[in-house]
Amino acid sequence: MSERAEVLIVGAGASGGVVARRLARAGIKVVCLEQGRWHDLDEFPAPQPEFELIARKQWSGSPNDRGLWEDYPVNEDESDLVTLMFNGVGGSLILYAGDWSRLHPSDFAVRSLDGVADDWPISYAELQPYYEATDVEFGVSGLAGDPAYPAGAEFPHPPLPIGAGAMKIARAHARLGWHWWPGTNSVLSRPWNGRRPCAQWNTCLNGCPEGAKASTDRTHWPEAMAHGAQLVTGARVRRVIVGTDGLARGVEYVTEDGREHVQEAEVVVLAANAIGTSRLLLLSDGPGHPDGLCNSSGKVGRRLMVHPFANVMGLFDEPLRSWNGHIGSKIVCYEFYETDEARDHVRGAKWSLTTTGGPINAALPTRAGESVWGPEHHARVRQYLGRGASWGIFGEDLPDDDNRVTLDPELTDSSGIPAPKVNYRVAENSRRLLDFHIERVKESLREAGAYHVEEERLMRYSGWHLIGTARMGNDPADSVVDGLGRAHEVENLFVVDGSVFPTSGAVNPTSTIAAFAARTADELVRTRNLQKVPA
Amino acid sequence: MIEDGLRDRLRTVADVLIPNAHGMPAASEVGVADGQLDRVVAVRPDLGDAVARGLEAIDLDDVMGSAERLRAADPGLHHLLMLAIVGAYYIHPDVRKRLEYDGQEPVEVRPEIIPAYVEEGLLDAVLRRGPIYRSVPDESEDA
Repeated sequence: MSERAEVLIVGAGASGGVVARRLARAGIKVVCLEQGRWHDLDEFPAPQPEFELIARKQWSGSPNDRGLWEDYPVNEDESDLVTLMFNGVGGSLILYAGDWSRLHPSDFAVRSLDGVADDWPISYAELQPYYEATDVEFGVSGLAGDPAYPAGAEFPHPPLPIGAGAMKIARAHARLGWHWWPGTNSVLSRPWNGRRPCAQWNTCLNGCPEGAKASTDRTHWPEAMAHGAQLVTGARVRRVIVGTDGLARGVEYVTEDGREHVQEAEVVVLAANAIGTSRLLLLSDGPGHPDGLCNSSGKVGRRLMVHPFANVMGLFDEPLRSWNGHIGSKIVCYEFYETDEARDHVRGAKWSLTTTGGPINAALPTRAGESVWGPEHHARVRQYLGRGASWGIFGEDLPDDDNRVTLDPELTDSSGIPAPKVNYRVAENSRRLLDFHIERVKESLREAGAYHVEEERLMRYSGWHLIGTARMGNDPADSVVDGLGRAHEVENLFVVDGSVFPTSGAVNPTSTIAAFAARTADELVRTRNLQKVPA
Repeated sequence: MIEDGLRDRLRTVADVLIPNAHGMPAASEVGVADGQLDRVVAVRPDLGDAVARGLEAIDLDDVMGSAERLRAADPGLHHLLMLAIVGAYYIHPDVRKRLEYDGQEPVEVRPEIIPAYVEEGLLDAVLRRGPIYRSVPDESEDA
C-alpha cells in the first residue's frame, strides 16, 4: 500500500490536471491515478502520408475503435450517438478540437428563463474569474469583445487565422446582419511557455504534433509534478473505498500486470469524464449504498447529455485550402443561440466553422454522397477537396433521466471490470432545434456563395461532449454533488469533470470544466484545515 | 501475407470504382492492389482482413451492384473495404500531385498581421448591435 495522499485524483485529463496543479502549488500532497500513459509529440500521425488512415483507428476518438489496454469498451447498442474520449495523460484533450467556448449567462438559468430543465447553483459571474484564469493556464487564442458574452479580460493570445472559407462566411453574415466572431481556441497563435504555436496541420482531432493545442500533459502536469504531485499511469481505478464513518478512504486500482493496489487518501477527487466517473460511482456499491456510491438520489449515471451535432458543408468554385488550419473553430455564430418563442423548440445552438479534411475524407461516401464511384468519382473528389466550408451545429441537449450510463451485465474491460453501457436517444426538441438551425446554416452558406450545400444530420460519431451524469444541485434528493462538486453523501469526495453539469448549454464544455475544476481546487485549498478526513 | 488471387480480385474491383478518367489514373495504374495495399496494411493491419472478407461479397461481373448490396447488408465491412481502396489510391504521390494536394503540412501562423476581416470592417456591424446575450435575473454583469 502506498503512503496516504492528502488529495487523490482519479483521471489526469482536463479537470484532473487543473486541480492537481493548483493543489500542488499550494503545497498539498497530490497523487493522481491515470489508466492511460504519457504520449510524445512524435507519436501523433500528422506528418505521415497515411495520416487519414491512422487517424481512423489508432487515434480514433472511440475507445471501441482503438481497443487499447487502457481503454474500456462502451456498449452503445442502444445509443443514437457514439461516445468519444481518450485515456491518457491529458485525457480527451489529446484528441479534442480545442474549441474553447464558454457557456453563456443564460445557460446557467434555463429553468428561470425558459421553464425547462434546471438552473445551475452557480452563475456565469461566479465562474468568470476562473474562465479568465484558465484561459491563461491553457494558452487560449481569441479576440475579446464578442457581444455574445459579458465584457471581460483580453485573451492571452491573438486569434488564429480564419482562412479563406471563413472570410466568405464573415462577409455573408455582414450582409445578412447576423452575428459572427473569430473563434476562441485553446491553441497557441504564438510561442508561449516553451510550447510552439499552431502550424495549421489540421490534425487536432488526432494529436497535435507541435504541442500547440493545449492539453494538461503539456500545460499543467509538468508544473504540478515539479511541485511534488505524483502521477501514476497505467492505474485503473475500480472502486472508491468508503469507511464506516461514511468518508472516502481511498481507492482500489489494478495495473496492466493484473496486480491489485490500494491508494489511501484524505480527499478523493473524481475527474474521469461523465462516463468514467459515473461508472466508477456505480462500481463502488456497498453496504448502505447498494445502487452505487452517492446515489441515494438515483441520479448517478442519469441525465447524460452529449450535444446532438449536425454538419452542413457548402462547396465553392474556388480553392480554399480547406484541408489546412486549426480544426476547432475558425469563426462562430451565436445569432440563434437563445430561445425564441416563435420557434417550435426551446434553447438554441452554437455554430462553429471548421475545415473539411484531406482526399480520403473527400472520397468516402460520407462526404462525397451516394454517386461516388466510377468515372465521376474523380470529378466529385475535385469538387470536394479543399473547396468546402463546414458549419458544425452544436444543439443544446436537455437532460433526460432515461439517457444514462449503467454497468453492462456482460461486457468488461481488459481487467474484467464491468464496462459502461450507454442508453441515449435524441430528444424531439433536439431534432426540431437541429432542423431549424440546418435551414439557417444553409442560408449562411448560400449567401456566402456556396453552389452546393450538403448536410450530415445527427452525426453518429459526435459524442465528444460527455455531460451530466452526476449533476450538481442544492437538493440532495435530486442531485449528486453541490455547487462545488462535493458529494452530498460523502463529505470528502468531489467530482470536477463534466458529470456535474445540470444542463449542457450548447457550446464545447472543456472551458467550463476547467473553470469549474479551478474553482473547486481553490476552495479545497482555502478550506484545507476545515476538511473532514478519515481517521 | 496477401495472396496473389486476392490482389487480382482487388485490382478488378478497384478499377471499376476508380477508373482512368478526368485526367486521373485508374486504381491499378498506381498499384492499389500491389505496393499501395501493402502500405495501407502496414499502418492498418485490420484492413487486410476487411479487404479479404469484403471482396468475398463482391461479384466481379457486377461490382457496383454487389458493392451496394454489401453496403446495405454490412455497412461496417463495406466502409472498411472502401477505406482500404480509397486509402491506397490517395496516399500515392502521383495522385496527390494531380490533385494539387500537398498533404497535411505545417504552415506558419502570423498573428502580427492584421486580419483581413478587421481591415474590411466585417466586425463593425456586430459591435454596433451591442450585447446579444440574454439577461439573467440578479446577474449585474448581464446586459
